Amino acid sequence: MLRWKYSRPLLALLLFVLAIAPLFAGNPLGKPGLQQTMAVAFLWGGLALTYDLLFGFTGLLSFGHALYFATGVYVSCILINHQVVPWWLAALIAMAVSSLLAFLVGAASLRTSGITFAMVTLAFGEAGHVIVNRNFFNLTGGENGIALDATHIPQIWIGVVNTKYIYWTALAALIFTYVVIWWVTESSAGRVFAALRDNEQRVQVLGLNTQHFKLLSFVISAALAALLGFVMLIAAGSAAPRFADSGVTISLLLMVVIGGAVTRWGAVLGGIFYSFASTRMQDLTQQESFKKIPHWIGGPIAEPALLLGLIFILIVMFSPGGLSGAYYRLRLKALSHKKP
Amino acid sequence: MNTLSVKDLHVKINESHILHGVSFEVPTNKVTALLGRNGVGKSTTLRSIMGFYPGTGSVQLNGVEILGKPTYKIVQSGAAFVPEDREIFSSLTVKENLSLAARGKNNEKAYESVYGLFPELDTRAQQLAGSLSGGQQQMVAIARALLNKNEILLVDEPTKGLAPKLVTEVADVLARVAHETTMLLVEQNLALVKRVAEHVIVMDQGRVIFQGGPENLSDAAWVHQMLGVSGGHK
Amino acid sequence: MDTFILIGITGIGLGALYFLIASGLSLIYGLMGVLNFAHGSFLTVGAFVGFWVASKMGAETSMPEFILAMIVGGLAAGLFALLIEQLLITRLYERHIDQALVTVGVSLVVGALLGGWFGNDLRMFPTPLWFLTAIDVGGAKIPADRVVYIATALLLLVGNWALLKFTRIGLVIRAGVENRNMVNALGINVKKAFSTVFFLGGFAAGVGGVLVSVYSNGVSPLIAGSYLIYGFIVVVIGGMGSVPGSFLAAMLIGIIRQFANYYVTGLGDFVVVILLAGVLLIKPQGLLGKVKA
Repeated sequence: MLRWKYSRPLLALLLFVLAIAPLFAGNPLGKPGLQQTMAVAFLWGGLALTYDLLFGFTGLLSFGHALYFATGVYVSCILINHQVVPWWLAALIAMAVSSLLAFLVGAASLRTSGITFAMVTLAFGEAGHVIVNRNFFNLTGGENGIALDATHIPQIWIGVVNTKYIYWTALAALIFTYVVIWWVTESSAGRVFAALRDNEQRVQVLGLNTQHFKLLSFVISAALAALLGFVMLIAAGSAAPRFADSGVTISLLLMVVIGGAVTRWGAVLGGIFYSFASTRMQDLTQQESFKKIPHWIGGPIAEPALLLGLIFILIVMFSPGGLSGAYYRLRLKALSHKKP
Repeated sequence: MNTLSVKDLHVKINESHILHGVSFEVPTNKVTALLGRNGVGKSTTLRSIMGFYPGTGSVQLNGVEILGKPTYKIVQSGAAFVPEDREIFSSLTVKENLSLAARGKNNEKAYESVYGLFPELDTRAQQLAGSLSGGQQQMVAIARALLNKNEILLVDEPTKGLAPKLVTEVADVLARVAHETTMLLVEQNLALVKRVAEHVIVMDQGRVIFQGGPENLSDAAWVHQMLGVSGGHK
Repeated sequence: MDTFILIGITGIGLGALYFLIASGLSLIYGLMGVLNFAHGSFLTVGAFVGFWVASKMGAETSMPEFILAMIVGGLAAGLFALLIEQLLITRLYERHIDQALVTVGVSLVVGALLGGWFGNDLRMFPTPLWFLTAIDVGGAKIPADRVVYIATALLLLVGNWALLKFTRIGLVIRAGVENRNMVNALGINVKKAFSTVFFLGGFAAGVGGVLVSVYSNGVSPLIAGSYLIYGFIVVVIGGMGSVPGSFLAAMLIGIIRQFANYYVTGLGDFVVVILLAGVLLIKPQGLLGKVKA
C-alpha cells in the first residue's frame, strides 16, 4: 500500500502528466475526442466533490444540487448571449446568484432534517427544472435549451482544434474546486461540519449555531457548482434542461457513493469514472459487433444506468465507503499486520 | 428459584462501553429493585435484557438463553416491559393500546382484572391515549404489560415525572401487582422501593456493587449519596 | 362557471393520481423511515404489466377488462415492492440513508431494463371507448376518464382507512408509525407490518401507474418521473405517515396546480413549490403530521 509521503508526489506527477499530455500527438489525450470526454469527466469530478461537501462532510442528503449547477450554466449563458456583461463577469454573477439562491432555499429547507430535508430539496430542485423547461420570458429556450453565442467568449475556447484549451480549463476548474474544498474542510469550520455529521447535539452544546454552519456548507457548495456550470457551458456549447434535471443530483450521489464519501479524492475519482464510463459505454454499444447480442440482453446493457445502478447497489449493500473506503480499509489492515 | 439470571453482561452503544460485566439474579415471585445514580446503566440493563441493544454474556429467562433474540420473541417468551417515559401510543385510543398488547385469544378475564386495577381505563376506553394525564398514561403502560401471562415484569422508573399524589397511586398498583408476579423494578424513589422490594441490586458505573435484602438500606447519608435517590414524599 | 367546474374536477382527478403514489410513500416513510425512490418504478412496473394484460384484450377494452388490467398491474407492482423490501431494504435495517440510496439504485436499474426492452416511446394504453367521451356536470363537459381516477382514489382511500382502522395489522401499522420499537416491545414482529405496507404501497402505485398511462396517453418507462416528485411534495405537505393528510394535500395540490396553469401556462408547478415552502415555514411537520417525540 502507498505511504502518505509517496502519495502526494505521485498525485503531483499524475496531474503533471494529465496537464501536458494534450501537447503531444502520440498519446490518446492528444486527440480532441478524448480531450472533450475527459474535460467533461473532470467537471463531473469537481461537481461530485461539491456534493461530497454536503452529503459526506456535512451529512446533508440534498436532492436538489442540480439547481445550483444549472443556475451556473443558464445565468452565465443568458448574460453572455444578451451581452449584458463580459464573460468573466457573467461567470461571477452566476456564482453570486447561485449562492443567493442556495441561501434562500437552504434557509427554508434546513428547518427540516434528514429524510424530509431530502424531499424538500428535491422539490426545489425540480422547480428549477420546470422553470427552465417552461421558457419564461423567452429566456431559457424551453426544452431545446439555448446555444452559447460563441462570438462573445475568448476564441481559444472555440473549435475542435482548440479542444485542448477546454480540457485545461476544466482541469483548472477541478483543481480550484479541490483546493477550495480542501481548505474549507481542513479549516476550523470544516471540523464543525464533520462534527455536525457525527453528532449534532455535541456541536449545539458547544454553543455553535448548527444551522449557520449547514447553511454555509450549502452556499459554498452551490457557488462552486455554479462555477463548474459555467465551464460546462463552455465545454458543452449550450445550456440545456438536462443540466437541471434531478437526474443530475442522483448521478452526483452515485458518483460520491461509488468513489466513497469524505475522502475528497474518492468523490473526484467517482465522478471521473462515472462520466467516462457513461460516455464510453454509449460509444461501445454503437458498434456493429454489439448489435449481434440478443435484444433482451443488449437493449438494457446499452443503457449506462443499468451497470452503474447495479454497481451502486452492490457498493451500498456490501462496501459502504465506496472505492476509497475500501482502499483505506485495506491500508489499515496492512498497517495492523505490520505491528504485532 | 430465580426467574431471570444475568451473567457477565457487556453492552456497548455507539462505541462507548456502558455495561461492564453485569451479573445478578431476579428471584421468582419477588420484587427486585435495581438502584443506582443516574447514568450508571440501569435503564440500559433493562433495555439490553429486552433485546434493544446487542450485548455479550448471558441472559437467561427460566433457564432459556434470550440474549441475542429479537425483542418481540423475548416478549413472547414472557418478559413484559414498562418503559421509562411510558411510550404509550398517543394517537390510538386506550382500548386500542390495550388490544395491541393483548396476545391471547380469549382474554376477557385479563381485561376484567386490568379494569379492576384501573377502573378509569374502562371509562376512558374510547379516549385517545395522548389526551390522558401522566398518571393515566402510566396506568395504560402498566395495564399493557398485565394483559398477558408473564414470567417477569420489567418496569423502568414508573414514578418519574409524576406528581406526589400520583406517585402514591402508582405505588399502590405496583404493591398490588407485586403479590402476583416476578418484577424487576428500576426506581429512584427510596420510599417506594422500601415498600415493595424484597430484593435489592445496586449498580455503579456499569457494574453491580451490591445485592441483598432491602433492610440493608437505611436512611443513612451514604445510601442517599451512593444511590442518588430521594427519600420519597411523606 | 363551467370552466371553473372543469378545471376543478380535472384538478381533483390529478390529485387522485398524486394520492395513489403518495399514500404508499407516506406509510412506508412513516412506519419504516425509508425514503423510497423506487416508488416510481413500482408505478412503472404496474403500468407495463397492466398494459400487457390490456393489450391481450385488443385495441380497446371493456370496463371489466380494464379493471382487471388495473388489478393485475397493482398486484404485480405490489409483489415487486415486496421483493425489493425482502431482498434489499430489510438487509439494511435501520440504516436509513443506505436504504434511500438502494432505492435510488433500484429506480435506475428498473428504468434501464424497461427502457432497454421497450424503448422510451409512448405506447397507447387500450381503454374502454367511453373514457374518451365527456360527462355533463353543471354545464361543464368533463372528460370521462377523470371520473375513473377520482373513483379509484376514493375506493383506495376508503379501503386503506378500513384496513388501518378495523384490522389487527392496521392497528400494528398505526402504532408502528408512532413508535416501532415499542410495538416490538409488546411482542409483535413489526417487520410483518413493513412487508404489508410495502405490498400495499406497491399495489396503490401500480394501480396509479395504469391510470397515469391513460392520463399521459400511453405507457413508457419515463411516465413516473414527475409523479414521484409530486408524490414527495404531497407527503411533505400532508404530513409524513398520515394517509388522510396525503389525501388532503394531493387534492389541494391537484386543484391549485390546475387553476394556476389555467391562468398562466407553467405557473402551476411554481405555485406548488411556493406552497411547499410556505407550509415548511409555518408548519414543518405538514398539515396533518405529528411532531415526533
